[in-house]
Amino acid sequence: MATAACPECAAEIELDADSVMVGEIIDCPDCGVELEVVNTHPLTLELAPEEEEDWGE
Amino acid sequence: MTRLISNDAEAVAFLTELISIPSFSGQERGAVERFIGEMEMYGAAAEVDGAGNGVAAFGEGPHQLLLLGHIDTVPGIIPVRREGSLLYGRGAVDAKGPLAAMAMAAAQLGARPGWQIVVVGAVEEEAASSRGARYLLERYQPRYCIIGEPSTWSRITLGYKGRLLIDYTLEQPIGHTAGRESGGCEQAAAFWQNLLEYCRAYNHGLDVRFAMLDPSLRRMNSSDDGLTERVEMRIGMRLPPHAPLHELLAQLDIWRGEAELRTHGEEQAYIADKRTPLCAAFLAAIRTAGGQPAFVFKTGTSDMNVVGPLWNCPIAAYGPGDSALDHTPREHIDLREYLRSIEVIKAVLSRLTSAASPA
Repeated sequence: MATAACPECAAEIELDADSVMVGEIIDCPDCGVELEVVNTHPLTLELAPEEEEDWGE
Repeated sequence: MTRLISNDAEAVAFLTELISIPSFSGQERGAVERFIGEMEMYGAAAEVDGAGNGVAAFGEGPHQLLLLGHIDTVPGIIPVRREGSLLYGRGAVDAKGPLAAMAMAAAQLGARPGWQIVVVGAVEEEAASSRGARYLLERYQPRYCIIGEPSTWSRITLGYKGRLLIDYTLEQPIGHTAGRESGGCEQAAAFWQNLLEYCRAYNHGLDVRFAMLDPSLRRMNSSDDGLTERVEMRIGMRLPPHAPLHELLAQLDIWRGEAELRTHGEEQAYIADKRTPLCAAFLAAIRTAGGQPAFVFKTGTSDMNVVGPLWNCPIAAYGPGDSALDHTPREHIDLREYLRSIEVIKAVLSRLTSAASPA
């Protein structure tokens, strides 16, 4: 298991670094914000990408 | 002859040729044959299917990954030309650019053990029929699907609004303009106004367009032969998820009076799951290429609306280009972005079809 800090609330989040995928989106168990796993070794979390809106197809 | 190595020049030449062949909806054959020819040169098993789609398959295996682009365009000839890194032409963005990017990525990657990567240049996406995509529905059940539509190279499209087209036709005997009966044009205008007010009420308090009911008056004309007047309107509705379609149709029936209504081109809004190996692969590939990824929801429709609900597999739309240029006389693509998107798609395909990919 590995831990990383939530960039929003600084909560320590514990994950199995061998089973999560880079790019996977998870929820912070403390503040609920969506996080993206940007690295597994070392485990690194960032806020998940923003959702935008566009005209067109 | 099988071509084993591609490069940026070949990818640009292919896109330029594809854009140079007009392929308005229903007239795609020439572009489809060019697509087929190119894919065969890269070793794909390629054919024109029963709907007229260009289909190219790389490799064989129990798992299928479908790259679904469309090869038709809206009308309007835009002379193909280069201005620096910008390539102008109808379809450069919507959606020959994204189709060519997927095709080149699959071609450059080649066959993957245990997988069949299928690239489809579908016909009639720009027509309300979506004939090409519908033909695929019962013939494929892919494990992953990427829809080729412009999102810009660093964004992933997760959702499209739905659509409903409404044709309004009113015929009635002509009355004197000084009389008490309202004329056909006035009745049609009142119908439109009722619809606008209904949508305004539905949209009240909403701050994202994706969640709104969006009506547009696409055509309106009137005529008479001295005895009977005729008024016609075509109204397009962009539908949000969970649109109150049943209630809306009941209202339309009340407002129409003596007019006839025909509804068609209905598509439900669709939102893809972002917590999938497909989206994870895109996020990682975009970051690796130096981008800051984002998710996007579109106010238009695409073939995702058609295949997403039935295939129910991880799905996303991706492709180079600014969708604000869709259907405009300024349509163009930045070739640097096009080439970068090929690298992103290649990385995504490689990861999804690797032995380490979740089964």
